[in-house]
Amino acid sequence: MGFFLEVLIGGLLAGVLYSLVALGFVLIFKASGVFNFAQGAMVLTAALALVRALDVFEQWHWPFAVALLSAFVFAAVIMAIIAWAAERLVLRKLVNQEGIILFMATIGVTFFLEGLSQSLFGADVYPLNVGLPKDPVFLLESLFDGGILVNELDIWAAVIAGLLVAGLALFFQRTRIGRALRAVADDHAAAQSVGIPLNQIWFIVWLVAGLVALVAGTVWGSKLGVQFSLSLLALKALPVLILGGFTSVPGAIIGGLIIGAGEKLAEVFLGPSMGGGIEIWFAYVLALLFLLVRPQGLFGERIIERV
Amino acid sequence: MADRVRSLTDVLLSVESISLSFGGVKALTDISFDIKKGEIRAIIGPNGAGKSSLLNCINGFYHPQEGAITYKGQRRSRMRPHEAAEQGIARTFQNIALFRGMSTLDNIMTGRNLAMRTGLFWQALRLGPAEREEIDHRKAVERIIDFLEIQHIRKVPVGQLPYGLQKRVELGRALAAEPELLLLDEPMAGMNLEEKEDMCRFVLDVNDEFGTTICLIEHDMGVVMDISDRLVVLDYGKKIGDGPPEAVKHDKAVIDAYLGVSH
Amino acid sequence: MTTAGSSHGSEALDTFPKMLAARARAGGDRPAYREKEFGIWQTYSWAHVASEVERLAAGLVVLGFSRGDRLIVVGDNRPRLYWAICAAQSLGGVPVPVYQDSVAEELAYVVEHAGARFAIAENQEQIDKLLEIRKSAPALSVLIYDDPRGLRHYEGLLSYSEVQERGTKLLAGRPESVAAEAAKGCGADDAIILYTSGTTGRPKGAVLSYDNLVWAARAGAHFDGLREGDELLSYLPMAWVGDHIFSYAQGYVVGLVVNCPESATTVMNDLREIGPTYYFAPPRVLENLITQVTIRMEDAGLVKRKLFQIFVGLARRIGPALLDGKKVSLADRLLYRLGDLLVYGPLKNSLGMSRVRVAYTAGEAVGSEIFSFYRALGINMKQLYGQTEASVFVTIHPNGEVYSDTVGKPVSDVELRIGSSGEVLYRSPGVFKEYFKNPEATNDTKTADGWVHTGDAGYLDERGHLRIIDRARDVGKLNDGTLFAPKFIENKLKFFSHINEAVVFGQGRDFVAAFVNIDITAVGDWAERRNIAYASYQELAGRPEVYDLIQGEIERVNRDLANDPRMAGAQIRRFLVLHKALDADDGELTRTNKVRRGFIGERYKPLVEALYDGSRSAHMKVGVTFEDGRKGTIEGTVQIRDLAPLPAAPLKKAS
Repeated sequence: MGFFLEVLIGGLLAGVLYSLVALGFVLIFKASGVFNFAQGAMVLTAALALVRALDVFEQWHWPFAVALLSAFVFAAVIMAIIAWAAERLVLRKLVNQEGIILFMATIGVTFFLEGLSQSLFGADVYPLNVGLPKDPVFLLESLFDGGILVNELDIWAAVIAGLLVAGLALFFQRTRIGRALRAVADDHAAAQSVGIPLNQIWFIVWLVAGLVALVAGTVWGSKLGVQFSLSLLALKALPVLILGGFTSVPGAIIGGLIIGAGEKLAEVFLGPSMGGGIEIWFAYVLALLFLLVRPQGLFGERIIERV
Repeated sequence: MADRVRSLTDVLLSVESISLSFGGVKALTDISFDIKKGEIRAIIGPNGAGKSSLLNCINGFYHPQEGAITYKGQRRSRMRPHEAAEQGIARTFQNIALFRGMSTLDNIMTGRNLAMRTGLFWQALRLGPAEREEIDHRKAVERIIDFLEIQHIRKVPVGQLPYGLQKRVELGRALAAEPELLLLDEPMAGMNLEEKEDMCRFVLDVNDEFGTTICLIEHDMGVVMDISDRLVVLDYGKKIGDGPPEAVKHDKAVIDAYLGVSH
Repeated sequence: MTTAGSSHGSEALDTFPKMLAARARAGGDRPAYREKEFGIWQTYSWAHVASEVERLAAGLVVLGFSRGDRLIVVGDNRPRLYWAICAAQSLGGVPVPVYQDSVAEELAYVVEHAGARFAIAENQEQIDKLLEIRKSAPALSVLIYDDPRGLRHYEGLLSYSEVQERGTKLLAGRPESVAAEAAKGCGADDAIILYTSGTTGRPKGAVLSYDNLVWAARAGAHFDGLREGDELLSYLPMAWVGDHIFSYAQGYVVGLVVNCPESATTVMNDLREIGPTYYFAPPRVLENLITQVTIRMEDAGLVKRKLFQIFVGLARRIGPALLDGKKVSLADRLLYRLGDLLVYGPLKNSLGMSRVRVAYTAGEAVGSEIFSFYRALGINMKQLYGQTEASVFVTIHPNGEVYSDTVGKPVSDVELRIGSSGEVLYRSPGVFKEYFKNPEATNDTKTADGWVHTGDAGYLDERGHLRIIDRARDVGKLNDGTLFAPKFIENKLKFFSHINEAVVFGQGRDFVAAFVNIDITAVGDWAERRNIAYASYQELAGRPEVYDLIQGEIERVNRDLANDPRMAGAQIRRFLVLHKALDADDGELTRTNKVRRGFIGERYKPLVEALYDGSRSAHMKVGVTFEDGRKGTIEGTVQIRDLAPLPAAPLKKAS
């Protein structure tokens, strides 16, 4: 039982990290209908900018807190520039084009970002330490023999993700800009007609997605080190989105948790009998099954077609 | 409406020989007309005459290649839709463009977008100035809901509403901005007779109670003749008539083009 | 005619203006009225009401309104219109509320017959009608409106607030000008004239005195223990006697809080928000609510649907017994509790009936299925039997004695008698004074010693409860002498949610035949589920699948009739589904939505003949009035189906 819980909690915490990446996708998809393939590259770029700036500031012997804060500001500015450029140079030119064309454009953005960020910041693996504790801790020792082993970093990641989601929910539901974002997501022309400037909104959405990428990059970077493989996280976010629905923020969270917990449990409990390696493909098979049963995802807008 | 007394003298908007083409296809050719403050101005013409294009030029969705539009005495070049909105031009669409996932209330609230100004932080917490502002806007929106008699659908997501009511909500959203100039693109299209009469009443009441200048496109000649002060008649992107309903009705060119008299 | 009360005013609280003054003095800050405006419920206290009424009355004085003048009041249920009634009464005038959906001619008749010089209207819609009427009835000199919307360019009108401003000025100089007049009133004075939309002929204006109304308000409140502060939602027409008693007379007598809905279309929502403790709904509304719930449940998920079915089944079994305080096993009690938590509670809440202590239905017979559904949920739904001429109350179901096939026991001080022809007669302190300017009709209805003919056939059963069979003059016989009670059969048909209206024929015929009007919501929904396409009411009504559906339901009614040896011969043998919805605007229904059988028989004569000459179908063109007043025609061929009668059940002994 203790072992099962340990695997489950470990999986859920890993799932939180998937959710963080998926969130960025959902934000942009909701507001502009664009499936932003570049979200993974944005995570990589944000993490690289952060870790490299932090290195430089620390070499200048700035106090850690100041260096860290400055590095975050630097990375945020980079994300803002990317958001501005994406809106100005890509989206604005392609307004009213088919979704697939915009999708192709984001693939272009992906390669561009991957190339640019690695040539600017280097292509090595950089360890990132932003002061998050990484020690393993034992929970519920009184209940189970030996307790449950959990990585403290994962718990912090979950806390950060929770705060981020709460913040986003407040932003979307209760602010004028949030309402404007929902309006743009529903109907571009109508949104413009009530005085919502489309270009600004797109910039804001990409900026928010960029900041979410920065958070995801920070957490993943702390866990795995900042390296090119962060960019591939985009691929793991895909099944999360299929499960949760492309338009739902809570869906992205729940989807991430299910995938995270599911693949760990499958690996540990089914792995031995099936030869292992389940973790690699489990998420995709689950997503495939979901597509057959409930294509709109758990929380996606229900597709109603009356005959 | 013989008892509608008004002096229509001030020009609110004037269109000066604009031409618009899409990749060589001429949508509008050398069109000039004006809209006076406080009037109901109708644009009529057969399908494909360029009526919607003309409306889209006025509210900045399209930018004419030639000519100019002067609004409130200011000549403007390449104005964008949200800028037009900021200057007091609101509109509805031929194919209803509502925020389908939102309730009637939220849709109309969105129409107040331009009037809302408090900072993000206060808004997120619904505190202090933001709360007061939200309440003020809600009041304004409730007055519109009352005006349009849509109290019963206040909380209903607009996607679930029947067509006629969606049109009404869309009008409500446009009114929420307290516009000076209201552009209505076929406000009565696809409605049954009763819904049309309701909509006519709302259009007249808006004009009457709020003094809003209205420019509308409409197919139903009966409706147009009844409610508009002056008409512009378009055919194949050209203006073929302009004047009060009575005059236009007897204009030979208009009769030939619009009523389909064979040559 | 009008009693001049000037000489014998009294100190007693025998008129509503006097009660208002008393309520404003003692506990004047208690809530009296609420209305929803701009999305928010506004509450008006008794003191506020008293001041509003006084200022309006003073304004009416300035305009020349004097004792005995009639004031037409027309519009939806709005506090200001209720106050206008009291303002007129304060001056010794007689208010005449009119159904707000009356067409101009109907309104014109009332205005002219009542000889009114003053009218208060809610809005432009009503003002337009009154202006039209004023052209032919110049006596109607003062028109007052509440909502100014769309009336900016009208001339010769006064707004409610303008009148009140004039009143304020008058009161500044002569503060007693209204109070002095109000003090002159007494209980025997005419309080109100309510025009009844009879099933035949011109409407008659029943004159009710303060004594009538105050007795009725007290008797009803006493019967069911109404208390000060009980809440009700006033959503039925102000011109209907029921609303006048519940929302007006009992409001003053008991101190109820009268809640006015935001608009006619938001009633369900308002009901939920207010959660009234005192509730009235005509059977038609109760039926619609169940139809809506059923449709919603059919759309719900499997678990929810099953849960609903199981617990509603349980409720139908034990709910009424629980409500009547009978013995129920502990296990059932616990299950019912669970059901209350899971199903009944949320359902009552969504119907706005969570807090209801007393609920009435009346006007038409109510289906026992429908009636018991509400009782099963734990809502104290009762039937009452009443008339305008009785100031409503004749009989009510006493607590613990609620049977769906009776209309209850006489209210205290009501005497009942069954006439020789089976007609029900009553006598009570609530019996109306007269029909206004119509002594002939008064004499036809009311005997010299105060008994009133109800026009309904019925009898008192062994429990002392009154049972109503049908309209007395409608109960007839088939050619073979079988008893034919058309309304009885029609009501049985109408209990099916798919059937909106039914009209049966048989008087002086060989067998019973029926017209059926489908319920477009229920049948439309039914059709959609089965992928039956239709473009119009007419097309849907003519679909063979719909005929099959209706036939099944008629067969169930026939089975029912066959069980009663007296009725077995009156089974429906042929029927058709009408291609046009029966409508009050075409004169086919009364304003209270009762079918006008005779008129329909004439109007659809070709179809009636086809029912009896053996044709398989009939073609007919019929006029229709649209909601905006335009006229048109509907034309089509209507199929006719035959049904085989079931054998009659043997006569049971002593049943």
